[in-house]
Amino acid sequence: MSEILLNNQVIVYLVSESILFVLMLIALLPTIKIVIKWKFYSFSQEQFALEKRAYLVATIVDFIFVVKFFLLIYFVFTIDALSILVPGAMCAAGVVSANDYGMPLLFFKLLILFVMLLWMTLHRYDLEAKEYPFMRYKSWLFIAIFVLVVVEMLLEIGYFTHIDTRRVVSCCSALFGQLEGANPLPFGLDMLKMIIRFYLLYFVNIVALIARYRALTMTSSILFLIISYYSVVYFFGTYVYELPTHKCPFCMMQKEYYFIGYLVWGSLFGGVSISLVWAIMGSLFGIDKSIYRNISVLFISIFVLICTSYVVVYYFRNGVFL
Amino acid sequence: MRSSPFLYFFTLQFFREYKNHLATTVISIALIFLLSAVLFISSSIKYSIDISLGAQADFVVERVRGGKKVDLPIEWIDTLLETRGVQKVTTRVHGRYFFEDKREWALIVGIDFMDEQSNRALEKLVESVDLEKFLFSSNMLVGDGVQRYLKEHFYPKGYNFLTPDGKYKKVSIFGTIPNSLNLMSNNMIIMPQELAKEILGIKKSMVTDLTLNVPNDNLWDSISDKIASLYYDIRVLTKREMQKAYENMYNYKSGVFLMLFLITMATFVLILYQRYSMVFSSQRRNIGLLRAVGWSIRDILKLKLYESLMVVLVSYVIGVSLAYLYVFVFDSPVLIDMFLGGENLDHKIKLIPVVDFGVLSSIFLIYTVAFIASVLIPTWSIAVTDPKEAML
Amino acid sequence: MITIEALQRYFDGGDERFYALKDIDLHIGRGECVVLKGVSGSGKTTLLGIIGGLDKPSSGKVMVDGEPISKLPDLHLSNFRAQKIGIIFQHYNLMDHLTSRENILVPLIPVANDMHRVEEMTDAAMKLASISHKADMQTSRLSGGEKQRVAIARAVVSDPDIILCDEPTANLDRENSLKFIESIQMLHQLGKTVVIATHDPLFDDLPFKSRVVHLEDGRLV
Repeated sequence: MSEILLNNQVIVYLVSESILFVLMLIALLPTIKIVIKWKFYSFSQEQFALEKRAYLVATIVDFIFVVKFFLLIYFVFTIDALSILVPGAMCAAGVVSANDYGMPLLFFKLLILFVMLLWMTLHRYDLEAKEYPFMRYKSWLFIAIFVLVVVEMLLEIGYFTHIDTRRVVSCCSALFGQLEGANPLPFGLDMLKMIIRFYLLYFVNIVALIARYRALTMTSSILFLIISYYSVVYFFGTYVYELPTHKCPFCMMQKEYYFIGYLVWGSLFGGVSISLVWAIMGSLFGIDKSIYRNISVLFISIFVLICTSYVVVYYFRNGVFL
Repeated sequence: MRSSPFLYFFTLQFFREYKNHLATTVISIALIFLLSAVLFISSSIKYSIDISLGAQADFVVERVRGGKKVDLPIEWIDTLLETRGVQKVTTRVHGRYFFEDKREWALIVGIDFMDEQSNRALEKLVESVDLEKFLFSSNMLVGDGVQRYLKEHFYPKGYNFLTPDGKYKKVSIFGTIPNSLNLMSNNMIIMPQELAKEILGIKKSMVTDLTLNVPNDNLWDSISDKIASLYYDIRVLTKREMQKAYENMYNYKSGVFLMLFLITMATFVLILYQRYSMVFSSQRRNIGLLRAVGWSIRDILKLKLYESLMVVLVSYVIGVSLAYLYVFVFDSPVLIDMFLGGENLDHKIKLIPVVDFGVLSSIFLIYTVAFIASVLIPTWSIAVTDPKEAML
Repeated sequence: MITIEALQRYFDGGDERFYALKDIDLHIGRGECVVLKGVSGSGKTTLLGIIGGLDKPSSGKVMVDGEPISKLPDLHLSNFRAQKIGIIFQHYNLMDHLTSRENILVPLIPVANDMHRVEEMTDAAMKLASISHKADMQTSRLSGGEKQRVAIARAVVSDPDIILCDEPTANLDRENSLKFIESIQMLHQLGKTVVIATHDPLFDDLPFKSRVVHLEDGRLV
């Protein structure tokens, strides 16, 4: 047995994920039944029973969402703690890249949370309407979530059983550090151009949200997410670490940096996914609630504010930029 | 949020009907207490090991022949110092000394009191000793456990060590090693190197091993390789490897316990499922009434899930606090033996209070997820009670 | 106010279909007092349950205030019960571990926004049912008549338009039954629509304008 699987946090993590998976299975059956047999205007006992079962599915999804949210934080926290067992790793970055499953796993986790958020929004408005208009969409969406979770589960098993504690992995500076000549930034941008685009996209995104341009919100949010990722790793992060060569998305989640990474990434992903949820809900189902736009604007602004303040504070303290 | 009337009613309901939750709360507290006590102990031990390892040199160099560790010549120092990036090479002399009954032993550590120390704790220790007096005759500093052992065997002032060439060597106790490094120093005896060599039977030109520092972390791997190729019988240990070894050992010990706990938990989940199905079905009429007067399925779900969450929170807070008291205030009788084993001379050690976020969140996570997951279905099945039940 | 068209409620047991209600057409106007009479098993309680949104019909249409309630999702139906319907049950159905006051405010919890308002409405309801003096007594220690008054207070606490009573006097002596009828008269005067399911002859000749509807084997006669 691999020593990774003996780590307390890994055990707790995997057991929790398995419990959630069992719950997903329990919710899957009534969902399939709903897809096949849902007839809202029927007065049959079966239909009334299905309406009740739908509440079980909803309760399970709510619960899974909350737990998965905390499990994501816990997951990052755990792989960070594992870095002591994996040679060469200084933080979670090295452990995530210890095998090929790590990065896709992380991506799936974010994706699942996003789709579940979509589901929960749909559900909320489904309940408020008078004839469960979204029940079938919801059920299909749940089946999609189930498939995603199955893939996630497989990736998870693959990931944790394939961390070789003898093979040396690269640390974050090797993973994200600049290779000679190669430009790591996307779209062939240089640093200054990227930072300008960062603020520009922020501005566009906020305007699009406030003015309710759905298509614009969608595109600008996705672009903003991509640019933000690179901006944080290659620019703002260096101010968090106060070291121009330290480029890593994970180290900032450590105690030395006051766990600021959780807030940075949390506000970014939260803000972008909520704005996407708003745009998708609006264009597909005609649901338009301003609370989504407000929260999204708030989150994205908090994100930009934190990033900016690191640079500004550094400048005021030291009189120079990095 | 219509929080305030809802919370009012929730508190009312929860405390008026606390008897329904009493049994589950008590069992929950017991389970959480056990789990947290074990994890507290293991994380505290890990923490003290981390501290003492952190204070130690980055590399230890040993000589290995036929798979056994043997003494190495002092000249190796010069060769090592020629390697770029290496700093502060120090000699170490240490070994086990078995007392007369051949059962109990102490770790004798010989240090050069006039030289710089490789270990920060030792440095502090040397500073606190009046060297002129200490070095004037044969003196030693002993750990708590050693002192207790010697006192019990009527050696309150000093001890006659039997050297390998059959002579007795009398050494007086100069003082005890301060408690800050309790775990590692409990069965330790510190004395000047020359004296230690005599008692342990080490030749004058030899030492047990060497330590060295490499200030630049990035060079660790390459320097480790370079040194390893200097002599055919050399072995290099890095601090990281030692940390890892300890980490694995305590992970293993608490991991085994965690597994047992999870099995217990699985049983508990089944009990919870049945218990809540039962409790809830006895409330069927009342729930039907709530539904009849206008509570929706969502409201009932909320009420019942809050109740379960409350049970979890209360048990968590009480269980963890009790475990904290048990481990760090009452020094965890019984359980600690599981972790330290009976090997040490005397392991009445004081654990350093460490509250690790990882441990706390793990306990909370596993317990909450298992608990709520097991009551989810009973909760749902009571929440969808038909309002017409109130009319029966 | 309440319109019922071609209402059926049946239960499928084995190969036989048992009809609890069959082909019911009924209209009840705003502020009207209707007494549903019939022996036990005639379907009075089932009909009452369907009007109150506690039970669902097997077919047919039930409209309250122009809104069809027979196929409303739970959230809306619950809200309907909370806002529009007050029910007085045959066995009072009080929660024994709570005091009178706490029992009375139960229907307000899911719809009220602040506790202050809840207190106000509870006090008003207790006053109306003249049970204020027993507000903080555990309901298990109340007499039958007092329990009935708590039940009335609970039914009116959210100021519903419709009051439904299921065999309200079954467990009361004559004196208390007459007092109950007085309370109903008061509610009637307040403009509430009242529907009473009972077989008590006391309700045959009420001291105020009322309509008696007879049920037999699930049909109106």
